[in-house]
Amino acid sequence: MKNFYMGIDVGSVSTNIVILDEENNIVWKKYLRTQGKPIDILKEGLKEVRKELGDIDIKGVGTTGSGRQLAGLILGADVVKNEITCHAVSALDFMPDIKTIIEIGGQDSKIIIIRDGIVVDFAMNTVCAAGTGSFLDRQAFRLGVGIEQFGKLALKSDNPVRIAGRCAVFAESDMIHKQQLGHNQEDIIWGLCQALVRNYLNNVGKGKEILGPIAFQGGVAANEGIKRAFEDTLKQEVFIPKDFDVMGAVGVGLLAKAEVKRKKTTSFKGLNISNIDYKVRGMECNDCANLCEVIEIQEGNNILARYGDKCGKWTNSIKDSSKLA
Amino acid sequence: MCKIGIPRGMFFYDYFPLWKEFFQELGIEIIVSSKTNKEILNLGISSCVDEACLPVKIFHGHVEYLKDKVDYIFIPRIMSIDRMEYCCPKVLGLPDMIRYSIGKLPPIIDTQINLRKSNNKYKKSIYDTGKLLGKDFWEIKKAYKKAEKSYERYIYLLNKGVVPIEAIKIYDKVFKDINYSSEHNELTIMVVGHSYSIYDEYLNMNLISKLMSNNIKVITPEMINKEKINRYSNKLPKRMFWTHGKRIVGSAFSLIEEQKIDGIIYLSSFGCGMDSVLVDLVERKAIKAEIPFTLLTLDEQTGEAGVNTRIEAFIDMMKWRNRDENNISAFR
Ligand code: SF4
Ligand code: SF4
Repeated sequence: MKNFYMGIDVGSVSTNIVILDEENNIVWKKYLRTQGKPIDILKEGLKEVRKELGDIDIKGVGTTGSGRQLAGLILGADVVKNEITCHAVSALDFMPDIKTIIEIGGQDSKIIIIRDGIVVDFAMNTVCAAGTGSFLDRQAFRLGVGIEQFGKLALKSDNPVRIAGRCAVFAESDMIHKQQLGHNQEDIIWGLCQALVRNYLNNVGKGKEILGPIAFQGGVAANEGIKRAFEDTLKQEVFIPKDFDVMGAVGVGLLAKAEVKRKKTTSFKGLNISNIDYKVRGMECNDCANLCEVIEIQEGNNILARYGDKCGKWTNSIKDSSKLA
Repeated sequence: MCKIGIPRGMFFYDYFPLWKEFFQELGIEIIVSSKTNKEILNLGISSCVDEACLPVKIFHGHVEYLKDKVDYIFIPRIMSIDRMEYCCPKVLGLPDMIRYSIGKLPPIIDTQINLRKSNNKYKKSIYDTGKLLGKDFWEIKKAYKKAEKSYERYIYLLNKGVVPIEAIKIYDKVFKDINYSSEHNELTIMVVGHSYSIYDEYLNMNLISKLMSNNIKVITPEMINKEKINRYSNKLPKRMFWTHGKRIVGSAFSLIEEQKIDGIIYLSSFGCGMDSVLVDLVERKAIKAEIPFTLLTLDEQTGEAGVNTRIEAFIDMMKWRNRDENNISAFR
């Protein structure tokens, strides 16, 4: 029987699942909306794996993304890793001599600087919407253009319009203003792509030495307009991996594989967790002025984990809750 | 017995051992506000002007917490704690700001501490403070002598490598067995920033204990001796006029140049003018020496999950780097 490894990236908006084979090929991938119900979505995801691939032999599992701790607990992950490390690992697998990774997703963006195959610097933006995919979605909607056509239309522009990109609110009002002045749609769209890239380079990329080869990953990499805007500004080619939209999951899958090779066993609970009943319960602790929101996860009748307490009195009452949770 | 309230914020983390001994020696009961918690933070946010930095807001919360429990509140007006140096404007005006934004306060003891020109004024402020509490010259002198001793002991512990949170705990007599940092840590990280940011565990979401529980040795500016700080900060082309600033830059420069650390985490408060200059100085120096540097900017809206991700990624980066130097395969 063939060996497979699973990587899962649980973000606030989407949950990505990939299955890798022994040669690091992606044999299956799935994108699901998290919808604030990470546990249900995980179960649904695993059900689909079984339905489409059968009862394959999964030798190792890794989780990443903002919901990594929770997903790791529920699945019995071998590796639980932050997104930065995972993106770096998958980009290095894609291109071993990579020097810069640009990652733009729906809700956040990152830059990772790599030299000689190791991460030497990184930055994340989780505050300003103007540098992320949700900003583009919103503007596409406003212009009445499908986000899929956005990139193609941008490339048709021959008379770019400059749109202020410093902040999402300004960009939006500036765009409306340019629309009213009668600029055509392609030019405005191209202007938006340039504004996003400028915003990214000024905020996330501030003070970073961006050298090539450059990889561009995350959902926004689907947008040819943004790719072109980066290439124009950075004056060099930007490489997009085939599976640009699931690179976090791929990275943690690779890490899981390496970890399992080392420890020679997996802690994965198996694909049938979709049959287990999980309950999440929130409660407010009144024992001191912090009034923490403590979250408890139950697996059947067992308490799997508690977290959210400042003092550790709830977390420590259970044995294997992870440290940084 | 008369009770003095000491808010657990701002210069508390620098001088508490001194203040505590002084007042106790004078036979005065001191009440320290509890550690920062959600309630204190919320009190601070609602009473303080919105533009203030997080540490100042939190300080307001501590004063609110104390105001009905004590006869006096001790908020020294710290103008300058070294020759020809100043503190941040927000620190200089702290007692006035508190009076302005918080109602129904007990009297504030705002002893002026200004060592910019000479030590004599300082002595006078100490006597004035004691006199205010009805003590005579000799009592005050004796109390201050003792307080200085205990302060020296505190500084000694710090220079020995005890992180101040732990050192303060010894004085709180809560914590018995502090572990002098072991030799077996995989990484050594400098956590740099203003004392009231790096030692307020609520404000920084337990940054130091998180690092320590990951088997990382932590060094902070207060653990570097003054002589070294002066030597290294003197290397700046322009003199540093801010006391905390000098400590931050001098300690960071010394650790960078001596190659004693694997990385630096700079903890800053959103909107801190002083930090905008300091961060730049430290970051540039770190980059030049190829020492990983990361900046965590905190305000009351910062989410803990994002901070954890940053810290984790930063630790990974340093481990990855060390492993690479030892020629073990790239990842894992
Ligand atoms: S969990 Fe701990 S810190 Fe939080 S409210 Fe309860 S006692 Fe306080
Ligand atoms: S130095 Fe910065 S953090 Fe400190 S009081 Fe001034 S503004 Fe606030």
